[in-house]
Amino acid sequence: MAIEERRKIGIRLSVLQYLITVIFSVLAVSFWVLQVVQHAKFEEMAENNHQRTLPLRAPRGVVFDRDGKVLVENRHSYSILLVREHTKDLNRTIRTMAGVLGMDESAVRTIVDRHKREPTYRPITIVQDASLAQVAAVTARRLDFELPDVVVEQVPTRRYPEEMGAHLFGYVGEVNDAILQSNPDLKSGDIVGQSGIEKVYNAVLMGQDGARRVVVNSVGREIRTLEEDPPAEGKRLQLTIDADIQKAVEDAFDATEAANLTNAGAAVVLNPATGEILAFTSRPAYDPNAFAAGIDGTTWASLTNDEQRPLNDRAIQGRYSPGSTFKMAVGLAALEEGVITPDFHANCAGHANFYGRDFKCWKKGGHGSVDLRHAIEQSCDVYFYTVANMVGIDKINKWATLLGLGVLSGIDLPNEAQGLVPSTEWKQRVRHEKWYAGETISVGIGQGAVSVTPVSMAVYMATLANGGTRVTPHLLKAVDDGSGWKPVPAPPPQSKVEINPDKLQAIRDGLWMVVNSAGTGGSARIMGQDVSGKTGSAQVISNAGRAAARTNKDLRDNGWFVFFAPRDHPTIAGVVFLEHGMHGPNAARVAHHILDTFFAKQEGRPFPPPPTKESLRFDYSDPMAKKQQPAGE
Amino acid sequence: MFERRLYYHIDWALVASVLALCGLGVAMIYSTTYDPTRGNSRMWMTQLYAIAIGAGALLFTLTLDYRTFTDKSHFIYLALIGVLLYVLFLGTVQMGARRWIPLGVFNLQPSEFAKVGVALVLAKFFGENRGAPQWTDLAIGGALTVVPFALIAKEPDLGTAVTLLPVFLAVAYLAGMRMRILGILLVAAILAAPVAWKFALKDYQKSRISTFLDPSQDAKGAGYQQIQARITVGSGGVTGKGFRQGTQGQLRFLPVAHNDFIFSVLAEEQGFAGVIVALGLYLFVILRSLEAARLAKDRLGSYLVLGVLASFTFQVMYNVTMSAGLAPVKGLTLPLMSYGGSSMIATLAGFGLILNVRMRRFTN
Repeated sequence: MAIEERRKIGIRLSVLQYLITVIFSVLAVSFWVLQVVQHAKFEEMAENNHQRTLPLRAPRGVVFDRDGKVLVENRHSYSILLVREHTKDLNRTIRTMAGVLGMDESAVRTIVDRHKREPTYRPITIVQDASLAQVAAVTARRLDFELPDVVVEQVPTRRYPEEMGAHLFGYVGEVNDAILQSNPDLKSGDIVGQSGIEKVYNAVLMGQDGARRVVVNSVGREIRTLEEDPPAEGKRLQLTIDADIQKAVEDAFDATEAANLTNAGAAVVLNPATGEILAFTSRPAYDPNAFAAGIDGTTWASLTNDEQRPLNDRAIQGRYSPGSTFKMAVGLAALEEGVITPDFHANCAGHANFYGRDFKCWKKGGHGSVDLRHAIEQSCDVYFYTVANMVGIDKINKWATLLGLGVLSGIDLPNEAQGLVPSTEWKQRVRHEKWYAGETISVGIGQGAVSVTPVSMAVYMATLANGGTRVTPHLLKAVDDGSGWKPVPAPPPQSKVEINPDKLQAIRDGLWMVVNSAGTGGSARIMGQDVSGKTGSAQVISNAGRAAARTNKDLRDNGWFVFFAPRDHPTIAGVVFLEHGMHGPNAARVAHHILDTFFAKQEGRPFPPPPTKESLRFDYSDPMAKKQQPAGE
Repeated sequence: MFERRLYYHIDWALVASVLALCGLGVAMIYSTTYDPTRGNSRMWMTQLYAIAIGAGALLFTLTLDYRTFTDKSHFIYLALIGVLLYVLFLGTVQMGARRWIPLGVFNLQPSEFAKVGVALVLAKFFGENRGAPQWTDLAIGGALTVVPFALIAKEPDLGTAVTLLPVFLAVAYLAGMRMRILGILLVAAILAAPVAWKFALKDYQKSRISTFLDPSQDAKGAGYQQIQARITVGSGGVTGKGFRQGTQGQLRFLPVAHNDFIFSVLAEEQGFAGVIVALGLYLFVILRSLEAARLAKDRLGSYLVLGVLASFTFQVMYNVTMSAGLAPVKGLTLPLMSYGGSSMIATLAGFGLILNVRMRRFTN
């Protein structure tokens, strides 16, 4: 090769040498930037790539009754979730998944669309409480890489083992947006209490979800677990409820329904000294289990469209005329205000005239001359018309309020409704009208504007039973946060009034006579326990209105029975309310089974058998037949 | 033919660094294809066999005088065209492309050998010319390159086809092509780009390029690989995650990790340190080969070395850039390290020629 040629080639080769060296240097610098300068960012991205945090759902706290019997527990159910993070073709996945799960494609799509804006790594629950067939089908497809983005998760789910106290326990459901925004501790998809104690004590019952960090490969399959932060179960609650008494209540109401008397009503049974609720029910009820793993649309619609409103808690939300059960409040007001003594007599001729209008006693022939005790025993209307007229509406309002009527009871359940005991002030404020003395007459027998909730009636009886302390009815007895049971102090009473024992005794005597003498509550009698109570049959509609009404609505009277026992040192008080139960004595029959069970447990004798529709011997006669007057009303 | 004294002129440093890169490749293939759930993969063994066969090919191209090969280069070239035609019509179809000839135990990919063939024929063509190549020379040389280019691009395997262009450019450049002509060719290429975009490129090729410009526009498809490549490299850090500890490669976030993206895996598992070692080895191999071109006793030898080296260098630089997610994803392997028998054998045969030229620098 010529020298000149070699020199030329040499120059050109040198150019290449430098060029290549520069390019390699640039490459080295690029790698340095990526691997050293930006390392932290890419390391995090790589970790997000292959590490997945899967939630481990914490079970909610187990709920026990006062004897330690399980009332609410958890079971395992399976949820089928979609994690879109590595989904290549969402439509295909939705199609395949719908086929595998036996669901409607549009239904799956609706669920996915609802969570569209959430981050893709957050799982979307497609099926709650999946069947084993669905779980198996999905698992098989996962292994085929056909549905790698679909995950099966084991979720603890609420279980209400016995059909009782639906409204008391309430139900759980996925947290809604409104709650989510006001509560930063909650996250989308959390299961929270929606009513009952599940709602009130949600913060206590809810556990702390754990998490499992796993390594997944590029198609989302789990390779191994890196670490596990186990979930913390919610705190355990002990309620004041006595499952045996609760069951007695439910059994008696079942019999009421079986007997075709009524399927609606409520009962509240409590300890008059403390306000601890022993049993609590509202009918018709629903099955809280249906909500536990997400309620389906049909069931929800049937609950909300039901005219009987099974989701309403009649015990704390239903407002009804108390009827004759209000008479003790009127009597006590008159006694305490010094208007009458227990020996005050009134003459009942079956009707009486006040302010130019004729008011009838339920007993056509009249009761003759009766004192307070007998007026309560016989539920003489004329006597209480007279007394109410003497005391005046504002004194009645004062004492009814002190006894717990027309005010909130303060029970630890959500959405309690307030009853009403009218007063001149109330009428002026609400109706902008003067109170007419004639209106007081109807109030004397618990009709007119008076309305009460069953729970306030229970408090009313407890106040009469304990001598003037308006206890706060409550359900929570103790909490166990893992370090043993810690008793929860009873909430303080709402009010306290000194009632003259002699005067109170007259009322109590009357109540005792209702059950144990010639009164209307004889069916609640229990040997040796001095059950004291009062029946009430409250008209749903006035007699005139009843005659005029052309509706199919059930217009039968509501039946009440309020009680405490034993008379002198009461340990139990409560109310049984039968919507359209026709007669107070029918409610007394229901109460009898409750009281009988309570004392059986106390005395250690075997529980009475659950009542049947025959054993309760309900009275189906139309009270209107007796009451209806041909003319003049 | 093979005189004993030639033995002393073998560039052992080049041989050693080439083998070191092969070894690095085998280790990375072992790492990425290791799957405890499915038992051990045999891929690294296959690669070892390929290296052994490649070593045989290297011995063959080293033993005979390189002028013997260039003298026969027109036969080799014609045979190559024939084989490429055969592949185009009768080859085995894999992944939508007709690139392979089944040979029982393995599939041969003739396009890999085209690089060496074209280097030989161009070295001979320009080596026989005197003075700077004229337009006609460039046109003939270009035609010699374009025929196999077109056949390979038709398979379709545009990536491999493109590696032939540096061969032509490098040899023509070294033969003294005027810089003005080089400039004109570059301008022409730039002007041709939009035309090519419109008529010559297939949709998947277009999407690769547009995705490169904005990876996020297709984060699950073509852009996915590019983003993952960057994550893979970046997460490696200075010292890497350790052998078989790379999450990106091991968990298949990066596709064909043992093949196109083997350098990304090296970067992930061995970190910046491993990258520097590998880049250093490649640079050493390239510069050492350029040295062989400088030392060659005749122009033919220089051209041959540069022709062989051109496609190698181009492929290394492109693949490494792509491995860092800094170039559009293209099915171009990393010579000496990526898994693939044909590429390994052809590359080692090429290095046989480079060693050959250097070794015979004193012979007549």
